[in-house]
Amino acid sequence: MSLDAPAVDYKALVQDDRIHVSLYTDPRIFVDEMDRIFTRGWVFVGHASEIPRPGDYVTRQLGMQPVIMVRGRGGAIAVLVNRCMHRGTMLCTAGRGTTRTFACPYHGWTYDLDGVLLGVPYPGGYAAFDKGAHGLRHAARVASYRGFVFASLAADGPSLGEHLGRATALIDRTCDLSPEGEIELSAGWVKHRCAANWKALPENDSDGYHLGFVHLSLFKTVRSTQYQRVVGEEKAIKAVVRDWGNGHIEIDWSPGYQRPFEWLGNASGPAVDDFVARLERRDGAALTQRRVMQGPAHALIFPNLFLGETNVAIVQPVGAEECVHWHTPVFFKGVPEFNGRLLRMSEAGMGPASFLMPEDLIVAARNQAGLRASTVEWLELTRGLNRESIDAEGRGVSHVTDETTNRALWKHYRSVMAEA
Amino acid sequence: MLSDTDRQAVTDFLHREARLADEARYAEWHALWTEDAVYWVPATTDPGADPDKHLSHIYDNRARLDTRVKLLQTGHRYSQEPPSLMRRLISNIEIERADDGELVVGSNFILAELSVQADHEMHWWVGRTTHRLRRVGGELKMCHKKVVLVNAAEPLPNLSFLI
Repeated sequence: MSLDAPAVDYKALVQDDRIHVSLYTDPRIFVDEMDRIFTRGWVFVGHASEIPRPGDYVTRQLGMQPVIMVRGRGGAIAVLVNRCMHRGTMLCTAGRGTTRTFACPYHGWTYDLDGVLLGVPYPGGYAAFDKGAHGLRHAARVASYRGFVFASLAADGPSLGEHLGRATALIDRTCDLSPEGEIELSAGWVKHRCAANWKALPENDSDGYHLGFVHLSLFKTVRSTQYQRVVGEEKAIKAVVRDWGNGHIEIDWSPGYQRPFEWLGNASGPAVDDFVARLERRDGAALTQRRVMQGPAHALIFPNLFLGETNVAIVQPVGAEECVHWHTPVFFKGVPEFNGRLLRMSEAGMGPASFLMPEDLIVAARNQAGLRASTVEWLELTRGLNRESIDAEGRGVSHVTDETTNRALWKHYRSVMAEA
Repeated sequence: MLSDTDRQAVTDFLHREARLADEARYAEWHALWTEDAVYWVPATTDPGADPDKHLSHIYDNRARLDTRVKLLQTGHRYSQEPPSLMRRLISNIEIERADDGELVVGSNFILAELSVQADHEMHWWVGRTTHRLRRVGGELKMCHKKVVLVNAAEPLPNLSFLI
């Protein structure tokens, strides 16, 4: 890329009713995204329950930037750039662990859990060495909501509260299903490789139109899936999509549910009864009934957190034509027997050997392959423009098969990408 | 002690199971299982992983195994439609007889999978399998199969074929 290459005109590429093919294929656009969305913006890093004790850490990527999310000695969570300040060596290569210090294997520079440089071997080689100036780089901003930790590598910009806006209600919907109000991500992550641009994942996660086609094998095999009510006659389908603003988008299946726990394969039994009893002690019978009818959220928190009902998923970009989908089951604190159901549900739905995601990702890969036909420049995005509306709370809403969510995603994308 | 006949029967079983999986002969592969089947592909190489606490790629009981096979038989499991072209080699076979008489069989495999559903791309799968085999009506059947991929914890492409 030459230094004087003209800037990409995102306002021209992202229109209200169509998007340009290069948004999925152009490496230059990918580089812009990693800067404007994944470096400057708020990005989901991980959940506090993954690192319960001081010294616990996990390694992640904010876009292309490797980071360590670690719990310090005082219990606070830091997000450190995973790179020695001497010569750039990656400090942690394991996915998770517990440690007292971060020691560089190259020349032995050692940092504490807050990234403070503790010591440098053979200090006589430096005339005047300021250890304080060589601590690990921190993510400029770290903030969390109900244990979901987000970071931004830029010092300035909207607060996490401003970024999430009212979409915190989506996180609440999942967390409030926990009798103790807290979720735990302790089962480990499965990582699923996808030969497509990263944006294919949030688009598909919020697309209610594809179910009866991409997942036809499931509908032909399992008679009563939770999605049975969204593949019938168009006008009989009650589920909706919603635009919560700032690129946060939702599919809400629950208007079509007729019984509790349709979102968990109509689960029943002692573990389910106990779970309901615990919720009732906190919330009373009526609210509990509503919660177990509605189930957890199915929503994308821009840009990389997917609340996938009984799963939490991360969208990890790799390159213009490759990404990885991470997922782990949501566990509710204090109900291990019930969590066993959630674990098996997670394996059925997500991951490379599951009954849903392999189809989603193979179609994403076929999209990516089809988009090499770059002489056809535009992807069409008009479905539902004729019937979407704004609800009493100011959210965009439409029939579950409508592209209201995808348009909302692209609208926010354009505002972020064209801002610079 | 294990007789040469037993040893040969086990080897024949492993080879046949591999060929049926390679050739997407779903019904015949399905018939190799007992009713109390457990088909387990952990998402970690940690030998202490507990499938009731840790997420797996696959942890099928008989009912879910039946669903897995039926999905493939619909002709609409697009991640395996058409089926990947596959051949696997099995080696380093070690057999022990458990206290209950069942045979516990460890083996290594290398599997070349040509994924043909989107791009035509070769995927290599390597790991160690532990089978638990039992005689049912004179024939060997598998009641437990655990497949530990060397890259179990890494990003994996689709694994919706029979591994």
